[in-house]
Amino acid sequence: MESALPEGSAPGEPPSNQLRLIGAHMPSSGGLSSCLLSGREIGCTAVQLFTGNPRQWSHPPLAEEEIRAFQNAREETALPFLCAHDSYLINLAAPDADVLDRSRNAFRGELERAHALGIPWVVTHMGAHLERGEEEAVARLIESLVRILEETDAAGCTAGIALETTAGQGTGLGWRFEQLGAVLKGVDHQQRIGVCMDTCHIFAAGYDLRTEDAWENTLKEFDAQVGLSALRIIHANDSKKGLGSRVDRHEHIGKGEIGLKPFARLVRDARLQHVPVVVETPDAHTMHQVNVALLQRLAAGGTGVFVEVELCGHFSEAGPLLQMELPENTSLQQLAEILEQKDARLAGLSACCQFAVNHEFAERGTLLCEGDRVAALPPSSGG
Amino acid sequence: MASAEIVDTPLNRDALEARIAPDEHGAVCVFIGQVRNHSRGKQVASLEYRAYMPLAEKQLLRVAEDAEKRWGCQVALWHRLGIMKPGDASVAVAVSAPHRAEAFEACRYCIDTLKALVPIWKRETCPDGTWWIEGEEAFPASEER
Ligand SMILES: [Zn+2]
Ligand SMILES: [Zn+2]
Repeated sequence: MESALPEGSAPGEPPSNQLRLIGAHMPSSGGLSSCLLSGREIGCTAVQLFTGNPRQWSHPPLAEEEIRAFQNAREETALPFLCAHDSYLINLAAPDADVLDRSRNAFRGELERAHALGIPWVVTHMGAHLERGEEEAVARLIESLVRILEETDAAGCTAGIALETTAGQGTGLGWRFEQLGAVLKGVDHQQRIGVCMDTCHIFAAGYDLRTEDAWENTLKEFDAQVGLSALRIIHANDSKKGLGSRVDRHEHIGKGEIGLKPFARLVRDARLQHVPVVVETPDAHTMHQVNVALLQRLAAGGTGVFVEVELCGHFSEAGPLLQMELPENTSLQQLAEILEQKDARLAGLSACCQFAVNHEFAERGTLLCEGDRVAALPPSSGG
Repeated sequence: MASAEIVDTPLNRDALEARIAPDEHGAVCVFIGQVRNHSRGKQVASLEYRAYMPLAEKQLLRVAEDAEKRWGCQVALWHRLGIMKPGDASVAVAVSAPHRAEAFEACRYCIDTLKALVPIWKRETCPDGTWWIEGEEAFPASEER
């Protein structure tokens, strides 16, 4: 199989350009190429996609026209980074011999399809032990990966495997960095194996990233156990559930338990500059554009402060939710004046509203910080 | 212990009163506010309450806790959100206390205070359109956002 990998994004070598690649998992709206076209349309520079039905075991080989259409779309969109996500059914650590066999075959298919399409990485979860022995499951997973890599190596396949950090829901493997590190070591195939870090998953698994210190510790731990050099993809998802909840529920960037600020820190972190970032947040059709644009603005950063302003009562007619970039050291009073100038419907806001910052009432002199959640509250009328 | 809840379902009085009135209390006072069929001289067809949730439940609980501290009573507060018709209960205060004076006073305090301190807004749909009500003022609302 011949594959045209984009320069610099082949497994094993870091991309050469320093542009921060940010995009989304794009649903297909008819043909695989539609993922690229719609991704480009909403401003993605990285796109993740399913190359088959994620709830199906077997797929016929990709038709020539499908591959050609995909290559054309790739050229047309000039998307610098693509990755695939495997089927949800695959469990490369399955205790049941039949399921294990199906999983291995299906995953080989995932790699072959990715290779045929010129997609350098396939993201996969690390499977589940299903209460039948965790150690044995890890050993089976390693064996699966070694075998699949050997077989596909022999067939000339260059698509790599990115093992995704998981939330540790149920009996899922790979929520502890140690385990991920052990699997990488066990497989020992640097060229074609790497890691995808999902922010929602690691947070749910108990790795905090909300403060600068927490993020430093988490990254240090990741580097020690897994190795930053193995990090190929970041899934940027906020979390509906709390730290250590071991429950995997994605939330829009900045709207969940993680909050906006950690994402600003992440996309501005020079150590991760070369790692593409992909969102897998809800409501793809309406919200991917918003989340991608938000991350791109955070990445472009500068010294501005990003805040979210929720407008309540009749002021919600002008919003209800605004993402704003403010000069550093802007006070609530100044924000009120900025809002009034921004939109005629917000006239009178400064005189009548009380403000809340991060869900508590705040004085007008309060200086706003990156990621603050502000609410403008006109006189209430409950009861 | 004080309780406060903001929900989008009709009032369940038994559930509310079950939260108060231990045997050592001799008085129970319940206030229920219901949707009026007229307001500002106009017919009200329906009414909607919206809240700033991150603060609303917290504030409601603070009112209840404050009353408990001042009158040595037990308080359960309830507010409904969403669309309601005239006659529907929108807010309820249930207080129990050793004697009736504290129960009446605390009940009155709760309803008066929550109206001012809990970030909840009313949208009235009248023959001439829908209006946001904020304190003494009314502002035109778009029908749907
Ligand atoms: Zn993910
Ligand atoms: Zn997930």
